[in-house]
Amino acid sequence: MPAVEMEGIFKVYPDGVVALRGVTLRVEEGEIHGLLGENGAGKSTLMRILYGEIKPTEGRIKLFGREVNFSGPWDAIRHGVGMVYQHFTLVPTFTVLENLYLALLPLNPDITPEEVRKLAEKKMEETGLRVPLGEVVENLPIGVQQRVEIIKALLQNAKILALDEPTSVLTPIEVEELFKTLRELKKEGITIIFITHKLKEVKEITDRVTVMRRGEVVGTVNTGEVSEKDLARMMVQREVVMSLQKSPANPGEVVFRVENLKVRDEAGIEAVKGVTLELREGEVLGIAGVQGNGQRELAEALAGIRLPHDGRIIFEGRDVTSLGAAERYKLGIAYVPDSRKVGLVGDMKIVENVILTNLPRVTSSGRIMWDAAESLSEEVIKRFDVVAPSVKAPIKHLSGGNQQKVMVGREIVREPKVFIVAEPTQGLDIGATEFIRRTILNLRDSGKAVLLISTDLDEVLQLSDRIAVIYEGRIMAVGRPEEFTLERLGLLMGGVDA
Amino acid sequence: MLSVDRESILEVLMSLIIAFAVGTVVLVVLGYDPIRVYSILFKYGYGNTDYLLKKSTPLLLTGLAFSVPAIAGVFNIGGESQLYVGAITALLVAHYTGSAIPAVIIGTAAGALLGLTIAALRVYRNINEVITAIMLNWTFFYFIAYLVSAKYANPKVPHESVPVPPGARIGGIFFIAVLTALTYYYVLHFTEIGYKMRVSGVSPQSARYAGFSPEKMVLTSMLLGGAAAGLGGALLVLGATYTIDTTLSAIYGIGFTGIGIGLLGRNNPVGIIFSSLFMSGLIIGGQWVELKTGAPPELADTLIGVIVIALAVPYAYRLLMKKVGQRGSAA
Repeated sequence: MPAVEMEGIFKVYPDGVVALRGVTLRVEEGEIHGLLGENGAGKSTLMRILYGEIKPTEGRIKLFGREVNFSGPWDAIRHGVGMVYQHFTLVPTFTVLENLYLALLPLNPDITPEEVRKLAEKKMEETGLRVPLGEVVENLPIGVQQRVEIIKALLQNAKILALDEPTSVLTPIEVEELFKTLRELKKEGITIIFITHKLKEVKEITDRVTVMRRGEVVGTVNTGEVSEKDLARMMVQREVVMSLQKSPANPGEVVFRVENLKVRDEAGIEAVKGVTLELREGEVLGIAGVQGNGQRELAEALAGIRLPHDGRIIFEGRDVTSLGAAERYKLGIAYVPDSRKVGLVGDMKIVENVILTNLPRVTSSGRIMWDAAESLSEEVIKRFDVVAPSVKAPIKHLSGGNQQKVMVGREIVREPKVFIVAEPTQGLDIGATEFIRRTILNLRDSGKAVLLISTDLDEVLQLSDRIAVIYEGRIMAVGRPEEFTLERLGLLMGGVDA
Repeated sequence: MLSVDRESILEVLMSLIIAFAVGTVVLVVLGYDPIRVYSILFKYGYGNTDYLLKKSTPLLLTGLAFSVPAIAGVFNIGGESQLYVGAITALLVAHYTGSAIPAVIIGTAAGALLGLTIAALRVYRNINEVITAIMLNWTFFYFIAYLVSAKYANPKVPHESVPVPPGARIGGIFFIAVLTALTYYYVLHFTEIGYKMRVSGVSPQSARYAGFSPEKMVLTSMLLGGAAAGLGGALLVLGATYTIDTTLSAIYGIGFTGIGIGLLGRNNPVGIIFSSLFMSGLIIGGQWVELKTGAPPELADTLIGVIVIALAVPYAYRLLMKKVGQRGSAA
């Protein structure tokens, strides 16, 4: 009997975004089932529906043959569904035991910490999964914290355990240990759903795999019967529509060079592990990859927001590695971040947002010249077709597309020589997307160097003159678009050399 | 770019109506004649302009001491101790020099230094500013109580500190406070540093993206906030009380009330000028209500409490909704 049957699941968000279009997933009892797909394929949404965190717009869910309709995660937990997120849900200042106690209290209000200790010790005995019960969680390595999450789910009597990109935070040795644990749990009869975009891991650990793309299931296959290439093809197959007219590139001098750059993320883990790139005038270099492979850290290091701990950044022959963001912007580097929440201050007016990265232009001896600021904003609005009642309107009242135009436009009016842009069309409608992409190409045609970092493969393919594929903080390959087939891109993005 | 918008004025008016309605209910339930109480409250509260302005001065400045850091994203609950140090240093400088100007300057600097210390502990040592500030409030409370009762007691009036010498006493302190508020308004809205503080307060990650440090803005805002409270303390002793009593009743509580005044003024320096006058009137009027009707002091406090809550609710509600909204859209 299948442990999980999700049938015809649709999910439409209130803002009209369709995340899932009739997904059917069947997971057999006692198997390790991979869920593979690019960003935005709908994997996480599907799992959040299974965990009762969000409700499907349409569709049925059956667990062990019985139809369920969860009112929330606690309900899902009671039905034997456990979830381990990429970001853990432990209280960092509590000990492991206290965290487990906290997790079990809602299920059994009379339980005592001593009983939890006994249960936990018994469970550790059975599964061979060891965690130090007395340690404070924040002092534990990430891999051990993850084990605490797994133990927590097991103590809550999870029969079905879903893990969302569990290896993305782990070191290679920790990954090995996790896999050992999962095999152990499988022997115990636990059904495991393993969400990933890494092809190797799918091959290594799963029995069957369901591949998703753009909110739909491409297919479910026995892992043993398919190659990594097949999986890559399933994951990325698409018709690339070349709707934009693009003139051939005219690359000039190298203006921006990155040598062996290494950058750590907030947690201190090396997210960029030695990236070397060259960017020429008049070209778009696209960086393709699945989200969370070091793109943000790379972009922030290039902009000067994050300090690399090794490597050099050369701009126009000058070493700018030690300069901060404001200084680099002044030299002619522009950066458009992947998130409008970072790039824009929602509560402020359009004009106040336009000057965010243009302060040197609108200030004189510490004073802001609001007249100059307003005419600069008018210029952005006019040049980039921003629909806005006035420059004094709060930016949050604009549509996503118009906000994005402001964020991109205010950088372009500075006439930067190097333009770094991340996820420029995320969440935009077709019109705004076309406009932004056209703008990027115009920038290239006027001789600027553009570094495009995008998890949208179509975008990278359409805009780039050269493509670099990033995986786990390393550039897997660089080349002209013709040198990549979709299959090869899929393999590279999934971490397989090709 | 005056950012007192029509919406928030309307909101304040609505809140006032609700506040007085609720206050009426409270009064009726407790058996007091609401019309009489309200007429005493307003007639006497706002009747004596000179006293009202004197009372408002330190409150206006501790209001700024709360709001300027709040704009940059810091919760300054230390206006209390920042005012204490301003008051005591101004008193002592006046006592020794007999002159007001150095007393004002040093009092202001003392407040600023204390504000900066709290901010520095947060920025460089990651120590929560609320905890530091609360502890320092009490540290300075007792330290100053010790100073005024043991070291600088007035031999003629044993429950008071040495007085400010007549040559160092000043008038027109409210206008100094208003000038400070206007200056702060200008700094916040017309200078680069003010803009950076405002950005840092709502979105530190945007500040980092733009290449400036929100931590520096935390330091700057606490320096400005502390300076306002320190100035408030200095003006209070130099222009109103001329002494500090040994129970510290003249200076106690002004910093805390300043938090309410800052919120009531919607963290806008110009709004704070009005909210400090409004609150001072209520406080003065409340004392008269006590005196005239024999009502316990708690009644006036209750009334003030109801009014402040009603005024703060919509603001708090919007802050909360914003938080919830952020969570909703992040999910």
